[in-house]
Amino acid sequence: MNRVIAPHRAVVVGRTTTGTSSGMLGRVADRDSDLTAPEPGPTAEELLTRVGTGDRDAFGELYDQTSARVFGLVRRLVVDPAQAEEVTQDVYLEIWQAAPRFDAARGSALAWMFTLAHRRSVDRIRASQASRDRDLRIGVRDLEVPVDTVAEAVEIRVEHERVVDALGGLSERQRECVSLAYYGGLTQSEIADRLGVPLGTVKTRLRDGMIRLRTALGVTT
Amino acid sequence: MSETNGPRDERDRAGSDEPEADSLEALRDAVAAYALDAVEADERAAVERALADDAELRDEADGFAETAALLAGAPEPVEPPPALKSRLMAQLDGLPQQLPDASAPATPAVSPAQVESPLEPPRPDLAPEPAAPRAPGEPGPAEHAARRRWFQRPGVIIAAAAASVVLIGGAIIGVAWTGPNGWGAQREMAAIAEAPDVESSTHEIESGGAVTLYWSAEQGRSGVVVEGLPDVGESSTYELWYIDDAGAQSAGTFDVAEGETWRVLEGDFAPGVAVGVTVEPAGGSPQPTTEPIVVIPT
Repeated sequence: MNRVIAPHRAVVVGRTTTGTSSGMLGRVADRDSDLTAPEPGPTAEELLTRVGTGDRDAFGELYDQTSARVFGLVRRLVVDPAQAEEVTQDVYLEIWQAAPRFDAARGSALAWMFTLAHRRSVDRIRASQASRDRDLRIGVRDLEVPVDTVAEAVEIRVEHERVVDALGGLSERQRECVSLAYYGGLTQSEIADRLGVPLGTVKTRLRDGMIRLRTALGVTT
Repeated sequence: MSETNGPRDERDRAGSDEPEADSLEALRDAVAAYALDAVEADERAAVERALADDAELRDEADGFAETAALLAGAPEPVEPPPALKSRLMAQLDGLPQQLPDASAPATPAVSPAQVESPLEPPRPDLAPEPAAPRAPGEPGPAEHAARRRWFQRPGVIIAAAAASVVLIGGAIIGVAWTGPNGWGAQREMAAIAEAPDVESSTHEIESGGAVTLYWSAEQGRSGVVVEGLPDVGESSTYELWYIDDAGAQSAGTFDVAEGETWRVLEGDFAPGVAVGVTVEPAGGSPQPTTEPIVVIPT
């Protein structure tokens, strides 16, 4: 399909390979002038496809390339570090098992992995009664962390800014609902209860917010 | 991505419920919430059933899944503990992979119940955790136990039939089939059939038809030739299994044309394993879900 998020994907792919390839460039540039661009390295799509054939090395490389982002997402949702580590482990085992069913024609590898990680995290916190009372410091507030402290890598900062900008394009009520759902792990019914608004209103805000985000983030269909 | 880029397990729910009364319009509204995992388990199931039948809705769900996944870029990346990677790598060997499923949406087609099912190797390093929520219709431990029972029933593994060498090369090879019966597979099948140590065993099936297994211990490969099997329709498929003390490992699926086909089994053959055939939902299952129509010991 042509559901492509080109800037996002390019950024992500380049992230873990930039350091090593620049170093290699410095060493070999004198004897091979053709090496004017950094080697792109395998994309997450290529790695995940190889994982689907039982390629352990590809799995290791995919893990190196993505684990900090997956763990960061899981930590956001499953606040307890030990549980977040368990969930992350489950997520990667599931990635190994389900990789043969990844279809690059239908979407990006990272979206596939994040979808799985988010689902797993949400299932975990909903299984825990304590989650019903967990503090809502998760959610909207964390998005206001100054960008400079969010990540050292330029690429991640750029990506972060894109998402924050896109969220900034929502109405406050839409942003609140989307954040409570995605970063808070709440169901739409829970959101309605918490905000004291009808369920139908929450559904409308989620849908309108997602449509606006989809456009702002350049997800084409 | 698969499952509209969301984990799904419609197979396990198949037949559990008729489509719910939700109108299509309501389901369309639910797709955005679904992409954010903001739906309850029953609504998740309803959405996934609708997605399976509606390509346009699935397309929209894919777009929302990509959008939601971009939200994952906002949290600060956190390096996981270094031990996690080595722990993961150590577990891969015992963890079977699913079969590709062309008909499934582009999301991981696995449920927590499957991943944590007792059919898989124990993971003693995992701390006890609250039971994962199970959607209605997902297999519970008892169902899993029932499914594995026949694979571990010692009586099933009867004495091996007398080996006989049958040259099937001439009968099988030379037809321009494609896919799993393509040229590469034909060469493999011929190599098995012509191996110096080839053995075979033919088993009649009660409901009609026969399955013949050919195997070569030296090559570590095996293949089946089936005749007279009923067509199981588009929604089902035959699935092959390598069965040993550790359980059942999928060895691929096949469908019959006019009752006949052949297939080189995926994975390595080891002497002493049994080969089983079950009828599974289209696309195959990670673990058998029905009683086998035949089990052939080697």
